[in-house]
Amino acid sequence: MNTRDYIESGILEEYVLGAVSSQERQEVECLSKVYPEVKAELTRLEETLEQYALLHQTPVPARLKNDIFAQMTFGSIAEPQEAADIQETYVRPMPGGSTEIQPGPTAAVRPLWAMMAVAASVLLAIFAGWAAYQMSQTRAQNDQLAAEMSELRQRAEYNEALAANYRNPDVKVVRMPGLDKAPESIVVALWNQKTNDVLLDVQNLPVAPAGKQYQLWTIVDGKPVDMGMLDQEFSNRLLHMKSSSPNAVAFAITLEKEGGSPNPTMEEMYVMGKV
Amino acid sequence: MATQRPNYSEEDLVESLKQNDRVAFEYLYDHYSGALFNVICKVLRDNEKAEDVLQDAFLKIWKSITSYDPAKGRLFTWMLNIARNSAIDAVRSEGRKPGMDDITENPDRTDQNATYQPSTSTLDLKALVDTLRPERKVLVDLVYFQGYTQEEASKELDIPLGTVKSRIRTALQDLKLYFKL
Repeated sequence: MNTRDYIESGILEEYVLGAVSSQERQEVECLSKVYPEVKAELTRLEETLEQYALLHQTPVPARLKNDIFAQMTFGSIAEPQEAADIQETYVRPMPGGSTEIQPGPTAAVRPLWAMMAVAASVLLAIFAGWAAYQMSQTRAQNDQLAAEMSELRQRAEYNEALAANYRNPDVKVVRMPGLDKAPESIVVALWNQKTNDVLLDVQNLPVAPAGKQYQLWTIVDGKPVDMGMLDQEFSNRLLHMKSSSPNAVAFAITLEKEGGSPNPTMEEMYVMGKV
Repeated sequence: MATQRPNYSEEDLVESLKQNDRVAFEYLYDHYSGALFNVICKVLRDNEKAEDVLQDAFLKIWKSITSYDPAKGRLFTWMLNIARNSAIDAVRSEGRKPGMDDITENPDRTDQNATYQPSTSTLDLKALVDTLRPERKVLVDLVYFQGYTQEEASKELDIPLGTVKSRIRTALQDLKLYFKL
């Protein structure tokens, strides 16, 4: 840049006269920082006007000085409270130079950035804690949802299988109502007459006591035939049993020792249904 | 002019003012209040109100001295802006325009109140300054002391804006030579 042209443009005179826009003012302040010759000319002009102004004084009534100084307090470094709103070019003093604080040499000065940093880390810690909590919550929720999902899927599969069996014309449905031991009980045998596969649908049956297990029997030619043990978890699922003889005339369930017995204990018969 | 500030360099003065030192503020007042008052009176044309404005302006200077940045300009320029702006605000709050009634007819009016003459050497210098060509001096006074913009001065005196600008510049350059700065 040609600083000579700039100096001779008259902008510096306008600046010291206070006759420039704020944009021009910034420009002058910036260029006078960069170019020493601009700064020098600016200072000369300022000094010129200062001398000029000092030549044109109006005497001030003497009492005015007392009036003014009576409103001022001195000594303490504490800054006057009101910030400068006089000129946009001059930076407002930072709030925080509070009047109560006497900044001695040992006075702890906490700059704004330090307080902001502390505040930021506190916020971060809070956020991290919250995020971790949310995370564990979400994880727990996920696990719960997964469990619910698999249960629903099991149930759906169970219902689908049930429906398929009931709809299948080959499947003979044998209802086994509860006997005296447990009148509320009901178990249904789904007997595929073509394949002789037998599925059990336990709708209601007391939980087997410890060391005991239910066992399914069929009656073929007047004799009980073992059809296999019921899984201890018999609710809401179809239990696949041994294949039946086509000549079975009845199904029954007894409570036996765990692992089963070669012959049914007739006193412990819970349900029974005729084909 | 060195005799006008026997106690402080500008740097020391600013430093002491920022320390809120009473002696420094008294020096500031004694040294500059006449010049500031002159400007305020010219803008207001009401010496009683001008006293209030000077009071406000000086308190503003005291309250905001910490925000004064020496890198941006001299202390007096900063103070003068505060004084002039306070005066302009006061005039505008009355719904008036900062004006200079008859300056065009009486270019020397700006000096009529300038009775404060600290020394003969200053007197000589003042005489010298008064040899500034009147049309330039009027412009400097109009813009500098009375808060006119250059556009307003151009209108007021019915002089093209470009001429206003060049005359002001020439006037200041002349002054610079007078003061041998």
